[in-house]
This record gives sequence, C-alpha cells and structure tokens, in this order.
Amino acid sequence: MKCLLIASESAEVLFHWTDPEFQQNVQKQYGASQEDGQGLPAFEDSISTLFAPIIISCITMVDRLRDSYTSFTTENHHIYVLHQFDECLYIAVNGDGEEGECDLRRKIYVVKKMTEVLFGMVTLSSNLLRKELRPQDTEQRARLWKHLQSLLQTYGHLRENDQSFLVEAVERLIHPTLCEQCIEFLERRLVQQLNSSGERAGEEVMHAFILVHTKLLAFYSSRNASSLSTSDLLVLIIMAQNMYPSNTDSDDPNPEDVESTSGSGPESFYTPEPSPPPDRGSSSSGEKPGRGSTPVFEFVDPDVQMAEDSLQTLEVPPPDPSTPRRVFLEVSLKDGLYPMMPHSMYCLPLWPGITLVLLTKIPTSAVAMSVYTFLEAFAKLEKRLSEGQEGSAATRGQRTIHEVRGKLDKFIKALGPTEIQSGQLQKEWIEFKNLAFTRGGPGFSRHLIPSCKKMKTQLCAVYRQCFLLESGSSSIPQRLSPGLQERAQSMVQEKLMDWKDFLLVKSRRNITMVSYLEDFPGLIHFICVDRSTGQMIAPSLNLTERNTSELGKGPLAQFIRRKVWTLVNTTRRYLQKGYSTVTFRDGDFYFCYFLWFENETGFKLEAGDLPVLSDDSAPIGMLAWDYYRKLLRYYSKSHQGEVVKCYELLTVHLGVVPAEIILQHCRQLASKLWEPSRNPLL
Amino acid sequence: ALVMTELMQPDSRRCTYFFLYDGSKVKGEGDLTREGICYFYPEETPLDEQELLCGQLAGAGRCVSELSSSPVCVLRLRRNKFAIRMKDDFFWALGCPVEVPTISVCELLDQLINLFRFYNGSVRRSYQLNRPETLASRWAQYLSHLQSGSSDLHHIFSCLRTIDATNIDPLLLLKAALILQACQRCPLVSAGCVLFRGRVVSTQISPELTMKVMVHESETYTKGPRCNDPGTFNSFGGAVSSTTVFLTRSSLAKFLPFSKTRLSRTLSNTPSTESEPSDAFSSPSFSRRLSDSSVFSPDPSQSGADPTPQQPDPPFSNGEPSPEAEEEVPEESNYESFHSNGNGVSQMHNEAGGSLFGEDSRLNGGGGDGDAARGPVFDFRGAEESRDHNVFEEVSGGGCGNVQGRGAESPDPARSDDSPLIPMTLYLHRVKGLVLALLVEPCFLSDTDSMEEVYHSSLASLNGLEAHLRTVSPGASGPQGPYLFAHFDCVQSTLTTNLSARPGGALQRPFVRATSLLHSHFCNTETLQEAIIRSAGAAVYGTRSVAQETYFQQHGGSLRNSGIPNHQDSAFSLPGKARHRLLKHGVNLI
Repeated sequence: MKCLLIASESAEVLFHWTDPEFQQNVQKQYGASQEDGQGLPAFEDSISTLFAPIIISCITMVDRLRDSYTSFTTENHHIYVLHQFDECLYIAVNGDGEEGECDLRRKIYVVKKMTEVLFGMVTLSSNLLRKELRPQDTEQRARLWKHLQSLLQTYGHLRENDQSFLVEAVERLIHPTLCEQCIEFLERRLVQQLNSSGERAGEEVMHAFILVHTKLLAFYSSRNASSLSTSDLLVLIIMAQNMYPSNTDSDDPNPEDVESTSGSGPESFYTPEPSPPPDRGSSSSGEKPGRGSTPVFEFVDPDVQMAEDSLQTLEVPPPDPSTPRRVFLEVSLKDGLYPMMPHSMYCLPLWPGITLVLLTKIPTSAVAMSVYTFLEAFAKLEKRLSEGQEGSAATRGQRTIHEVRGKLDKFIKALGPTEIQSGQLQKEWIEFKNLAFTRGGPGFSRHLIPSCKKMKTQLCAVYRQCFLLESGSSSIPQRLSPGLQERAQSMVQEKLMDWKDFLLVKSRRNITMVSYLEDFPGLIHFICVDRSTGQMIAPSLNLTERNTSELGKGPLAQFIRRKVWTLVNTTRRYLQKGYSTVTFRDGDFYFCYFLWFENETGFKLEAGDLPVLSDDSAPIGMLAWDYYRKLLRYYSKSHQGEVVKCYELLTVHLGVVPAEIILQHCRQLASKLWEPSRNPLL
Repeated sequence: ALVMTELMQPDSRRCTYFFLYDGSKVKGEGDLTREGICYFYPEETPLDEQELLCGQLAGAGRCVSELSSSPVCVLRLRRNKFAIRMKDDFFWALGCPVEVPTISVCELLDQLINLFRFYNGSVRRSYQLNRPETLASRWAQYLSHLQSGSSDLHHIFSCLRTIDATNIDPLLLLKAALILQACQRCPLVSAGCVLFRGRVVSTQISPELTMKVMVHESETYTKGPRCNDPGTFNSFGGAVSSTTVFLTRSSLAKFLPFSKTRLSRTLSNTPSTESEPSDAFSSPSFSRRLSDSSVFSPDPSQSGADPTPQQPDPPFSNGEPSPEAEEEVPEESNYESFHSNGNGVSQMHNEAGGSLFGEDSRLNGGGGDGDAARGPVFDFRGAEESRDHNVFEEVSGGGCGNVQGRGAESPDPARSDDSPLIPMTLYLHRVKGLVLALLVEPCFLSDTDSMEEVYHSSLASLNGLEAHLRTVSPGASGPQGPYLFAHFDCVQSTLTTNLSARPGGALQRPFVRATSLLHSHFCNTETLQEAIIRSAGAAVYGTRSVAQETYFQQHGGSLRNSGIPNHQDSAFSLPGKARHRLLKHGVNLI
C-alpha cells in the first residue's frame, strides 16, 4: 500500500505513483462512493478527487496559519507524509508498514532530487515545472510518468536491498590492483580517445565510470572537470540500474556452483599481479573468483524479464539506445558552485550487470551558467525587496545589478540570431529596466517584485528551450556518434573480458564477514562510511533465493538484515538531534554507532556540537539532500585551514560480548579500515 | 477552574491547543463551523482562528480517515503535533510542541477524555444534558489539572505524584494502608486511596484511577469545604463529600491487584522504588489472592437498606436516564431498575460471588424485578464483555503504530467509549490536608449505618496520620550528587528524580531532551533494553525493564573527546555509575 503524489496548489495531480494495492484500495473506495456503479472513473481522476480536500486544506493552513501539515498517522498504521517545495505539494503514503515516516520523507526528497536531475533549473519555476511534469500530450505524459515511476521503484528496490543505498554512499569494489588498472585505462585510452575524436559533436567526456551492479569499479574525471558530487553519482547509479536492472536472482551465480565447476582455478588467471596487502584477509578478496573457471555464467534470463515483472516499464521503450539522457548535475568551479548544469549521460551496457557510464559536457553549457548567474541575481534581489529593503540596500551583493544589466543585455543579444525564442525574455527585461532604472520610476522597491518573478520565469523558459526540448525532429540529435559509442563499449569489453565473471561475483561479495571473525569474535556486521568522499564499505548481506550470505539464509539472516536497516534509521534519528555516539542493547544484540571527525593526517578532532534539527527536516543522508556536506561545512568553521574528514562506523555484536571488548573492536575497526593508504585492510 | 488555571505556571504548559469539535452540528451547507466547537483551548484564541483549526484539522482528518478506512490518531504540523481521537461525530485534538514525545501527547489526550468520562459519563450524553459552557469549564478544569505537573519530565511521563517515601516513617504508609483496609470491611466500599496535599500516600486502585480521583480531591481542596455543596453532608461537619463517577469495566477489574500489591509493598518496608509490582502480577499466588479476596464477595446480610437514587449531582439530576442509555439500550432499563430497586442491589451482591468479573454477574442479577427473559441476554453479553476485554489488550498492545507502543496502560478511549460505564460514587473524607477517597457503591450514601461506620472507624486514624504527615519536613529531597537521574515506575506510574522542580534549568535541559528521545525509543522498540547516547554536551544512559525506566547522566568529567570509539570513554562507564549511585535513591538496577 504505497503512493506518492505531486500536486499543484490548485490540487491538480502533477505526478503520481501507486503500487497495485493502493490502486485497488482507491478503486474500491471510489466504487463504494459511486452508488450507481457506472463503471469506475479513470484512476487519475479518482486519486485526484480523493486527495483534493487534503491538498486544499494544506494550502489553506499555509496561507492562513503559516503552518502546514507534515504528517498524519491513522490507527491502522497508515502514514501520510506531506512536504511542500515552492508551489508543489508532495504526499507520500504507506499502508503496509514497510516504510516509516522518515522513509517517506526521504522518498519525497529523492523524487525532488530526481526532478532536478531530469529537468534542471526548470524546477526553479513552479509554473514551468508543472507543465514539464504534466505534459498536455497524454502519450508524452504517460511516457514521462512511466519513466519517473520506474526510477522511483528502482530507488525503492535499492534502498530496501542495497547497503550503499541504505546509508547513501557509494560502494567501491575492493580490488586495488584492478581498480587502478581500470582507472588508468579510462584515462589513457578511453577518455583521451573519445575526446580527440571528430565524431563527438562538440561534446567532451568529463567523467567515465564502470559499474558492476551498483558498485563502482573505476571512476575517472578528466582534468578540467569538477568533481562529481556523491548525491549526483548516486542518482546516476539509480538511473543506470533503471536502464539495465540487475537481475538479483538469475545473474547471481551460486558460489557453490562456481566451486564445483572450478577445475583449473589457479589464481594467476584472475589476479595478474599478486594482491598488494599481504596480510590478513587478502585471500578473501581473491579466493572465490579465483576458483571459478571461465565460462560458468549463463545469463539465461535477460534483464527484460525482471523489468517486466517489477517495473512495468517496457511498453514505451527508449527510442534509440544511443540517444543520451539529458541530466543536470552540479558543477563546482573556481568562481563558485553551479547547480543543475546540463550534461549528457551515455549508459553503455558491457555485459548484464556491468555498465560503462560516460558523462559529457555539451557545447552550449555556457548558456546554462549565464542563466544560473542571472537567476541567482534576480532571486537575491527579490528576497531583499520582499524583506523590505529598498534602493541600494536591495542591490548590494557580489554582482551589482548594473553588472548584471550589462551582461544580460549582451546575453539577450547573443541569443537573438539563434533559434531560441527569447522575445518574451527581452520584453520582460525591457519592462524590468523601465521600472528599475528609469528616473522617476518606482526604482528598487516592492513594486519590482512581480517583475523579478517574471524575469526568473523567462530565464527558466530559455533554459528549458536550450536544454530540455528535443531539437527539431528533422535535425540529427546532437551526441557522440553511435559508432564512437560502440567503439568505447568494445574497448572496455575487451579490457574487462577476462575479469567479467570475477567482477560479477565480487560485486555480490565485495568483502565478507568471514575474514573478520578471527580478529573480532562476536562481531556480526559492520558498516563503515567515509562521509568526506561519500564512500562506504560493509560485508555483503545479499539474501536472494539461490545465494546466501555467511549468515545463512532464512529467518535469521533476514532478521539481522532487518536489524541493520532499523539501526541505520535509529541512529539517523539521534544524529538529527545532535547525538554522535549511540550504543544500545536490543534483544540478543549490541549495536554501536559512532560519528567522528579527523584531519587529513588522521588526527582525531574534538567532537563539537552538532546541529539539532527539527523532526520534519530534510532526511539525513547524501542522496537527496547532502546533510554530511553541510555538517562538514558547519564543523569546518571551527577548524579553519584544516581539511576535515568525517567518518561513521556502525557495528552489530552479539549481546553476550562484554561492552569493553565491543568498544575495543570498534576502535580497531575504525583505525584499520581507513588507513592512510585508503585501501581498507582486508 | 479559575483557581486551577492560576496555579498552573504558564511556561510549564505542555498543551498548546485542545479542542473538541462536534461534526454532527455542522452538516448542512449553511452551518457555521463555530456551531460545532464544543470547547477550545486556549479560550482566548480568536474565534476565526478556532474555526480555522477545527474546520481544517477535522476536515483533513476525515478525508485521511476515509482514504485509509481508519481514524487518524496523530497529526503533525511543522510547529505542533496533535493527538487526534475521532469517535462518531466527535473530533478531539490535543496539540503540543513538537519536542514532546508523540506517545506522551497521545497519553495526555486519552487521560483527558477518560477523565471527562469518569466524572460525567458518556460525552455525547453529557452534551445532550448540559449546557456547553458548563462542560467547557470542566474540560478546562481537567486540562489544567493534567498540566499542573511541575517539571519538564512531567511532559514525558504521565505520573502520579506521591509523597516522598524516602522521607517518611514506613509505619505511616502502613497506617494509611490499614485505614483503607479497614474501610473495606464495609461491603459497599470497593477500594480507595489516601492523599495528602495533592500527593498519594497509599492507594489500592490503579494509577490511572488514582489520577482521576485526585482531580476531584484538588478541586474540593481549593474550593474549601462548603456546607451547602450538594455533595457534602452536614451530619459529618462538612468533612465528607461525594460525587458520582463512571468506571469502565476494565478499570473496575483493576481495583484488586493494586490494593493487594500496595499493601504487601508497604509491609515489606521497601518504599516506592522497587521492581516488585511486576512480580506481583506474574506470581502464581496472585490469582489465588484475587479469588479469595473479600472485596467482591460481600456479606449478603449487609445489603443497603434504602438505595433510593443517589444524592443530586450536577451532571445527572434525579430522574434523568442514566448516561449509558444511548450506548447500550438494553442496559438502560437495567440500570434504572438497579438505581431504584432495593432488592436489586441486595440480589446483586448475592450473585456477585467474588469473581473478578463480578460486575458481569451483577448485570445478570441486576434486573431484580424478575424479568426472566433478560437473564440469558445478559449472560451472553457478559461473556462477550470479558472476551472483548482480552481482545482489547491485544489490540492496544499494538497501539497506534509506534506511537502507542505501551497500549495496555492507556486504554484507547475511542474503544472504551463503546464499553458501558458503570456508575459508582466517589466518597471523600477530608481532614485538613489529608483526604480519604473511597469508591463506593451508589447506595452507600443512603445507607446511614454504613456511612457512619466508615466515617467513625477511620476518623481517629486519619487525624493521627494527618498530624504525623504534617510534621514531616518537605525539605531535604534526597541526596543531590554530581549527576541527574529519573526513574519511572511504569506499574505504579511514579517518578523518582533529583531534577529540581522548576522547569527548564539550563543544566537539566540536555538531560530532559535525551530522556525524551530515549523514552520514545523504548516505547517503540519492545526489545530495547539499554542505550547510551552522547552529544557534545551530555552523555545519557537509559535502561528499562518491564516495570521501570531509568535515565542517568553524570555531571562534569571530560566529555571532550573525538567521538571515535574508545573503551576508556567516560560515557561507557555510565551503566556502572548509575547502578552504584542510584542505590541510595532506592533504585536497584541490578
């Protein structure tokens, strides 16, 4: 019983996603209320009718009481979470007990983040976003909604099953040698070749990475690229998973099969060079795949099956696999942070489960930067004016309004000859100038606020034309040529051919608890996260029908998994309220959570006061709203001139282990997992 | 009500809004929202704001309820959270600041509704019989009483205020218990409690019921005895008063356990802080003690001679139908006959047979006028009731999601509103600051012999007890020490703490905040046994068992550290320190 709904202030449904149970429930209710039983109305109509009173009441509360609903709970444990972003109201509902209030709030923020990645700065204008989310054309709307719905479903699946999406940090495959080789390959061979090719249509590859399921094998950013934020990277992984879903049951080989069929098995095949860490645990990283022989894996079921079952998305297949997806990602340059800059995303499947992702900067991206600069200037001005500041007080700021004036004049002039329709923008700009700069006019006062709003909308409209609309169907879509894409694909396939089976197994059991048991008796599970880089490691907890983790399968393993998931939610709750150390004894288990700061040399910094946030604050994590980045910024204020790093450790122990021993374990894990080499000790 | 409002410190209010909205009054197009507002707190809220809140919350609440086919129980705004109860057309909402644990807000609303029902009977019927202003002043009175808890911790735990047992000669507690037992010799007396200056000295009834009784006690205390009060009796020099109260079947059933445990605890000379009560429940001897208890098997010969209708009482004057009429039609006639028929009462006692669910059999015999057809009907109902009772325990165990994890303790009023209320009489005998409160059969008041016997047999003991308690200096509230602690006894609903009573001491705030979070966590996670949480400013240890919750914070020490796991970290020595330090407060954590 799940539902997510985006509605406008006029109670129009801009997007909805429901699971079959919820849909049934709504139809049943609607059937009941319609006594004549003239057949059920369209589902969209019923859902909008049923939610309309809540939406209208919510708007009324904001208008008249300056307060709004954040949640409802019913006696049968249904939860409704509401959140308003600008003029869009998001409502998430759960009625099956699988999600709590915080999960639903997180989901709302994730959907918001996805719209930002998909629509960029158009999300800054509620009016335009409304049109974008709910296209007039029903077919187009169906296609878009399907896409968003399946993204949401993929996210839900990952959040429930993948530890890296549980803690919202990227998991790397732990195989330093191979990783290094691959990064080198991406740099020296792939990206260099792509960027020097004449078939790239002016695009420039900024980032290239290889995913094995959801785990990162190698990531390379070109020298003039800004770093990719963890939040964006996580969304891109969701998108890649959505395009090429991992079929958890069928493409996941049973390790026993691997071992039984392994006849040859000398490790030399899979590990061309000996693994560098010579000490404890090193064997585990290579042992399983080492015993596997080459042609074990038959991908009997194509991913298509899974997609049909769980996602129901294949009715409208993507038009052309070589057409890139437009994504809007954050770019940080020397002169500042530019959110939602247009990129093209190429998702090239190498083998089922292994994907190469290329992110390119498009030639017109400079326009986006200008638009952002102007948008920011008008937003600031509007804010000051609405706070009651007038005249020069309102125009104070980094870029004076006069500077903006000159630039915007030039910008509009430059747009003129292109096919972008900037007439409306020009008209509003002339009006603005008349109001603001004319002697005897109202000048910089409250009267300018509507004009500021109009300018913002027009800027967003230009941005939309530039980056969201398909350029006329006649012209060839602008992209890396299909041939170039194919070449990139086969280059990497060739490189990884001998490794692919190993990688698929490795991604399922990246590190295993077995290698820790001897040194940490009583330790059942742990998760370690480096929040400064947005990376995590944890022993695998895969529980599929055929493949079991070391915990075995069945109720016990499932129980531990549930506990780990609950633990993460619980510790977030305490962190939200400013608690950075939490330990508790729950049933037969002892749980620990620690968050701490270090400087670059590994010196432990003193724990400071952490901000105390309200219950309905943005979710703690890195995917939708980067709490940790803000935390680091907040903390760094008191540590000027130092590079501050932030780490988290979660552990699950057997309750019978004495507390002192547990704490010693935690201490050892904390210091060993992130040694200066940055290669987790294994 | 006025006096109570003054007593309440404005900054100790935990409730920001409370209202009761009757949707049945606002059905037509032209009906004004204000018509449906039965009571709104704060009363000075402008009417249009009242209308806005009532209209919107009730409207949105109903819409959500319809979507989920279940009433809304919690509604949050950004700045306030509301516990909601929806029953028939009534919509109750109680709003608190968001820091207050949700479970506490729900508990407070349940208490408030139950309190109203305790003194007035069914809500719907009360509104049919009384002017809204009269009832509004009652809501105000109950609300201010429930909010009068003095420390921040009272926002988290709804607890009974007891006298500081560590400061008192245990013999005095024993004496109080004996007074209560002596009163029970009269078969019309069910159980009772002894209160001193708004605090419990000894009680035989459940904490929830004791809390309810204390509202009337504090009201008569602040008013002072007035001889012309309808509920006072001139013959006893104005010291005795009474009022009609209404009990649910389940709260009646809870009488007995508490009268016994309280006594045994008093005798064993271990004041108010042990974890025994839970044992008392589970011990095999418990049920035996119950069954051979004398309380519900009164001597038939002592039946009330003249049980004509009880003394006039504001909500139900003579001749009014009893409040249950609307809820259980068959019962109406039963109670009418019960109220007017002397033989009915005596017969009832004959048949009660001393079982815990004696009231069921009372119902059977209640129609003493010999209506044969009614008997089996009631039999059937009786069985259903007791089964219902079990179902109720299960259902409320799940409570309202995570919100009411400890359901069994706070009966869901929406559900209990369905169960018939049984009228009883609350008898109060005041000796200066000391009050003997007894729940008695309604006919007790007309039975002059019984009344005199109870009065005279306890008078001397009460005087003596009062004289002793008066001399106990209230000061020296236990050892202070370089730590803070709070110990909540979930069975007796008592709180032991060394926090100063004034709200919001800056030093105490981190402790209260941590306690509030941990309490919510304990309530939501049944398997959670203990936890240590640390912010930059404070490390707090919390531990709980079935019967108690304890929170502990050590002052000073070097809290400054990096937060990286370290077994020498002082935060992890808290459990040991708590065990050691709290022993002298009578808190045993081993």
